[in-house]
This record gives sequence, structure tokens and C-alpha cells, in this order.
Amino acid sequence: MLSEVTVSRIIEAAMSGQADFAEVFEEEKKVSSVGLLNKRTIRAASGINYGVGIRLMAGTNVVYVYTCDKSEDALIKLAKEAASAVKGGKTSDIKEVEALSKSTPSILVTDPLSVSKKVNIDFLKEASEFALNYDELITQVASSYATSNRVIHITNSEGINKEESQTRIRFSIETVATKGTEKQTGRIAPGTMRGYEFVEEYPMIDKTRECCETAIRMVNAGYAPSGKMPVIIGNGFGGVIFHEACGHALEATAVGIKASCFTDKLGKQIASSIVTARDDARIEGEWGSYMTDDTGRKSSNLLLIENGICKNCLVDDLGARRMGCEPTGCGRRQDFTYAPTSRMSNTYIDKGEDDPKDIIADTEYGIYCTKMGGGSVDTATGEFNFAAEEAFMVRNGKIAEPVRGATLIGKGQEILMNIDRVGNDLKLAAGMCGSISGGVPVTVGQPTIRVSSILVGGREA
Amino acid sequence: MDRTFAGKYIKDLVEKAIKFGFEDAEACFMSSSSMEINVLNGEVSSYENSTMQGVGFRGKKNGQMGGSFTSDLNDNAVDFILRNAMENCEVLDDEDEEFIYCDPENSHLESIQLSGSYDKNTYDKFSMVGLKLEKDILALSDDIKAVDYLSISCGTGPSISVNSKGLYTYKDSDYITIMAEARAEKDGVVKTGGYYWFGKDIDDFDEKKFLNTLKKRVLGKLGASSVASGEYKIIFDSEAFVSLFDTFISNFSSYTMQKGLSLLAGKEGQTIASDLFTIREEPMYENALIKFPFDSEGVLTKSKALIDKGVFVKAFYNLKTAHKAGTESTGNGFKGAFSAPVGISATNLIVEPGDKDFDQLCAWVQDGLYITDLNGLHAGVNKISGDFSLFCEGYLIKDGKIARPVEQITVADNFYEVLKKIIATGSDTISVPEGKGEYFCPSVVISKMNISGDVKEREE
Repeated sequence: MLSEVTVSRIIEAAMSGQADFAEVFEEEKKVSSVGLLNKRTIRAASGINYGVGIRLMAGTNVVYVYTCDKSEDALIKLAKEAASAVKGGKTSDIKEVEALSKSTPSILVTDPLSVSKKVNIDFLKEASEFALNYDELITQVASSYATSNRVIHITNSEGINKEESQTRIRFSIETVATKGTEKQTGRIAPGTMRGYEFVEEYPMIDKTRECCETAIRMVNAGYAPSGKMPVIIGNGFGGVIFHEACGHALEATAVGIKASCFTDKLGKQIASSIVTARDDARIEGEWGSYMTDDTGRKSSNLLLIENGICKNCLVDDLGARRMGCEPTGCGRRQDFTYAPTSRMSNTYIDKGEDDPKDIIADTEYGIYCTKMGGGSVDTATGEFNFAAEEAFMVRNGKIAEPVRGATLIGKGQEILMNIDRVGNDLKLAAGMCGSISGGVPVTVGQPTIRVSSILVGGREA
Repeated sequence: MDRTFAGKYIKDLVEKAIKFGFEDAEACFMSSSSMEINVLNGEVSSYENSTMQGVGFRGKKNGQMGGSFTSDLNDNAVDFILRNAMENCEVLDDEDEEFIYCDPENSHLESIQLSGSYDKNTYDKFSMVGLKLEKDILALSDDIKAVDYLSISCGTGPSISVNSKGLYTYKDSDYITIMAEARAEKDGVVKTGGYYWFGKDIDDFDEKKFLNTLKKRVLGKLGASSVASGEYKIIFDSEAFVSLFDTFISNFSSYTMQKGLSLLAGKEGQTIASDLFTIREEPMYENALIKFPFDSEGVLTKSKALIDKGVFVKAFYNLKTAHKAGTESTGNGFKGAFSAPVGISATNLIVEPGDKDFDQLCAWVQDGLYITDLNGLHAGVNKISGDFSLFCEGYLIKDGKIARPVEQITVADNFYEVLKKIIATGSDTISVPEGKGEYFCPSVVISKMNISGDVKEREE
């Protein structure tokens, strides 16, 4: 990594113009991955991504430059160019750099990068073998394993000097069931910041069986109905609905420029009174965690909604300048090629009081989405869409036939108010979130919930 | 790293790779420089100016191709690359062989598409254009409350590749992109809409034309409501049709077909679409911003039909899939970054236009829906089966004319069925950037599709 002297010189160069803040973000990320199709290893990759980003602010004016060239001369030249582009700030003094402090959200017994690719491949081959022998309808199994270690070092003109090491593992199994010309898939993709022991403890065969069963159920399923109806959303990745429909609209990226459907809603009711939600970046070993954010600030366990009342927004340092409040330690970026912005970490609706079985038993007619796919939202209008990967009809309080092709659409503000049951079975699930500062690992989560009415877009009347 | 030094660096890397024990080897150096400004509330809120570079390597041993990459070009980089690529070779057991290639008659390939106007892309010039554009968008109507996103960016960067068979390729190009998203509010209802422009010379930007389109896209949505569920005749605008088609483009890749993950496997030469539908790939299309004379494997590209009057002519092939199928590469073996393996991508795609302009299409359709926005394409589709259910927006067509905006509806169907239900293409072709290149596509009419809405009675 860069020496302290070099970093100080870069900051001095960056502050030589009208900037009131300068930051040096240095990143090195080692990656290793394999991919299998059926039982053959068709992809194996290794690499290092290294780069330095220099960010300057003058009020709410931001200049961001980056490079892979780590020579001091090149970095100082770049910092000076950036300094000349900053307009209109009040000059600030450069504070003395603190002693370096290191952090990690990873809990490692066995460093995954020390485990050979062959071991990873054997693990995936065992699951592939099981799936291909599970049922004649299962025709393909695609699987992958990836691990990375990302070390970031953030130093800024306010004296911050932090280093964080983030080690992650993610693997996936996707099974394809074929019936005539019809093909449907079942998928699992767990992610963790624990060591290789997570993989060794993972109930891979049981989870692969679930994948196969989902694919087989969906290939035999009829199309989902269309129209407005009560929707029960299963726990775990079902939390993507909250992530998309509410979380993004509470980010300073949207709220800070008043481009959110939740602008000026702090202290006001934005969800049903049975909804409490958090963004907790400090869960050690969880996929979306970090102890220090990508701007060098301590992360937080942030209460977003308490009993339906909006309590906090996700605010990065630029958002704090726009909104006149303190940052919450949520500045994140995919890598050094992006300037940081307000992002979520492990975001979930907290557990409620209902037994999930009672939620189903109390639903006369509706749809039960047990596995959600991805979705997207327009944070200004609140309009969202989500796809269900696995769903069932609910009739007279009982789970009935499986259905496929269900998409849920609506407006986030309305859906949050229409949550009428919250289960006690909170579960978290790994995902990736894309936004203006790139793709970052996030966890979504919720217990089983019911929304009294959502428009389901299916193919049957 | 300049061109000469980078070329020597990767040439040395390939030579060292052969000494290291690889039978064949290839290295590429990619560099990119970009500059971007963002405008917000009457000021340039952010400015980015950056360079990125890295080396990607692939080496072959015992029929397996191992890869590795780094953007940290320090003294240990060569050792790291070779050692990791070799380790990767040793764990692979791919049945299908990948090739390092050089056509002796085309061993030195260059494509330099740099505009002389690139020097105009300064912070001051972009700021002037951006600030004026924001002001003019806000002046379009009192209902437009903000421009939430406005960016002007440009990029350029050379890519050099060298291999042990004697291939040397060099390419470089540049571009400028302007994007804006505006927010309108009326009677408590918020709507957003965006538009973009891309080109090579900032002085070619036609602000008046841009404003006219953006105005329609934002203000046209105000007053929208849903429709009743049912089957509707659909006109897809060019961008909506391209976004749907491109979501399923990987099904036309021989790789997807050979892995049993495309329903088009075995259907080359068969009818898969309406005979009114023709789409061609023209890598060197004269109206395209970027042209592709050769692919990342050093194979020359060529003009070809993908679907000709409904018949699926030939899939996209690279050297690996072509070898497996006993055919020739179609010049579609591209890698997207120095860190990426060689995959299969299409370049510029041209949908054959019909003879009716948009108003004539509406009059011909009489009653139906004009779909302008499709959302959720990354989630609400089954790429293998072709099934999709997507959130969309657009307009109701009544008595042959656009009647009112429509929101909160989904369209659900199957991609392969939609191709068969094409009953017309318009004469209103526009360029839509997507994937590696652009689509040139007119409005496309579908005989019927399933719409879900929350209105009880259908409007007559």
C-alpha cells in the first residue's frame, strides 16, 4: 500500500486549490473463482484489481479522479488536476493524520483464499452429481464459487486513517428442469464474510435438493393469475421488496436532493404500525457487513422505521452536507473506479409476532411468494416491480397449486402501509445491489409478511 | 503506459509464458480514460477524470485455457499472472477446446476510430452545455420540478492484444454521452422520464431535438391511469422492443445453445418468427458510432442475417463454439474487459423497417396499447423458457390515435411467441445503444399480448 508520507503529499496537493476536503482511497482486491456446468469445470479465474481514488469536496461540489498508477509523481499530478477543477469552497486546514486503525467484519478460521480451487471444485461437483441424479427432469446444473479479499485504506484531510479488510465467499447452484420445450430453474446463492468453515458447515445436499424441487415444481406449474390480491411474501430474500421499495428511497442519494417519495418524512408514518426496519452494517460475518465504510467512517446499526414511523435515512458525507445532518457511515462503492455514495448493508424488516402458519391460515384467497427474484424501483415515484421465482396460490387458508411467472408491481409508499401481518421467522439472504456507485454486496431480509393488496401481473385472467 | 511500452510488455509476457510451459499464450493490455460532469441545481455538482489500465492473459496447456489478470503492474505482476493462469489450467476439465488464433493474412489488425473533435471535451465545454441544458429542461413547463440527473461524459482508450501465433491487434475509439432525467409533478402525482444523446462531437448535440423528446417522455406521463386486464394489440416503441429483444439475445449465442440453455438449439435454418421480421448484424454499419472490423480473437467480422423473414439463419459463434459445431467463427468472440474471458457478443443489429410511420401504425392498429417503457427486465423474465411478466408504461390507443397515458400495468407473454406475433414494423427507425454496439430499430407491432391492470371495465 502507499506510504503515509506519499498519502500526505497527495492530500496536500489535493487541498492546494479551493477544496475544503480531500480523501485518498486505496484499494487492492484479490479474486479467485471457478465455474462448473454439470460436472465439468469450464471456468477458473484469478486476478488482482488495484487502484487509487482521490475525492475532493468544496461544499456540495465533488471532484473524483482515479488511477491504477501508484507512482507518487502520477498521483500528485492527478491530485493537482483535481484541485484545479474544484470550484467555490471555503479553504480548510489539513488535520494531522491519526494513527492507522484497522478493522474487519470478516470472521475467519480458515482463510478461503488459502483453500485450493480443487477443493472448491470437489464441493461443487458433489452437489452437481446429486442434482443430476435427483430426477430425470433435472437436465443441467450450473454452479460457481468465488472468494475475494478486499483491503481498503482511507485517509482524508480531517485526519481519518483507516484500513479495513473484507473477505467474502459466495457460491451458487442453479438447477434446470426440462419438460418438453419448457425449462424452469431453481437457485441458491449464499454469501458470507465467514471463513471456509462456512462452506464446510453448509447443508449443500439439502439445499441442492430444494433447488431441484423448486425447478421441478415450476416446470409443472401453470401461470399465475393477474389482478389485485393479498400477497404473502416468504422470509429471507423476500426482503428484496423492502430493499427496493423503501431502502433506496431512504438513501441520501434520493432524499438529499428531494428526489424521493420519502422526502421530508422523518418522524412521520410511512409504513404500517407493525413494521420496524433496520440497516445494520455491523453484523460480524454477514455478507453485507462492514465495520468501516468506504469513506473511513464507522458503520452503524441504523433504525430506519420504528412501528411505522420513519426514524432515520442512510446518509453519506456528501448527503450530510446537502441535508445538514451527520453521516451515518454508509458511504460505499463497488471499487476505486466509483465515488462513494449512500448505500444499504444488511437491511431487513424486523420480526413481528405472527406465526407464519397463521398468516396463511387467515388468508382466504391470494398468492404466496416463497422465493423472490430481483426487482427495481423508481425512487422518485415509488413505482416498483419484483419477480417471484416460486409461488403458490392460497385458497381457504391453505397452500394450493404452484404458479409461475408472477410479477408484483405497485408503489412503495402504498405497499408499506398495506403490510397487515408480520411473522416471527426473520431470516437474512445475500444479494448484490446496483446503484450509482456500482454493485455492492448487501443482505436483504424479513420474516414472512402479508400485504393486503398488490397488483400481480400473471398470464391468466 | 504508452502504446509502444504496453505492446512490448505484453509481447514479453507471451514469450515468458511459452518458456513457463504454456503451449500457446495471448495477452491483452486495455486502458481507458474517461471524463464526466454532473449538473444539479444550477451547478456542476461533480467532476470525474480518470484512467484505468490492466493486463489480461490466457494460456493453453493440455487442451485447457487458464486465465488471470491484474491492474497492479508491479515487478511481481508477470510472475503472478503466469503462476495463476497455470494453476487454473490444471483444475479445468472443459470438454470444449478454446483456441489462440492468427490468420496469417490478417496477423496485424488495427482499428482506430478517434474523432478529431475529442479535444473539445473539456470541463468548461461540458459545464457550459450541461448548465444550459438543465436550465432549458426546467423552462419546458412549470410541471417540471427538477432535473434529478444530468451527466455528460466522454471516454477513449486503446486495447492491444498479442499472441504466440503471431497476432497483433490494436483498437481505439471515442464517444460522448449526454443523459438527463427530469421529474414532473402535477396534482400530487410524480412522474420521471429520461433521455440520452451520444456521438463523437459535442457540437453535433441538438439541444432542441433533445428537449422535445424529453418533454414528451416526462410530461406525457402525467394524468396516467391503469387499464383493465386482457389481451391488447401492442405497438412497442423502438427502445422498449430493443430492451426486450436484447434481454434474450444470449439465446442466439451458440455457447448458450450448446450448453442446452437455449430453446433455439437445433433451430438454425428453421422459422422462429413472423415472416415480416428480419434482423441483421452489420459490424461495420455506416451509421453506427462504433464499428467492429475484427473480434477479440483476431477473427474478421462480417455482415450477416440473424433472422431473415422469420428464419433463424445462423447463431453467433466464436472459435471455441464453432469448432464444436464443425463450422466457422462468425467473428463474435469478444471480451468485455481485460479481466474477462472471451465470450460471445453481437455488435450492431439492424431490424428491417416497414413502410408505415408511427401515426399510420396507430391508425392501422385502431385500438391497443403503445408501450414505451419496460421495467424489471433483469428479474421478471425466464431467459431460458422465454416467459416474461414486466412492469410497463405507455399510452392507450383509441380510434387510431394516442388517447391517454397508461401506468401500473404489466405485460406478460413469451419471447418466442412474441416473435411469431409480429404483424408490422414501422418506418421510424432510431438508433438505440445496447450491449457492445447499437440496434437500429423501428416501432414493432404485436398482434396481441396479455396485460394486467387494476381497472375493472375495459374502455370501449
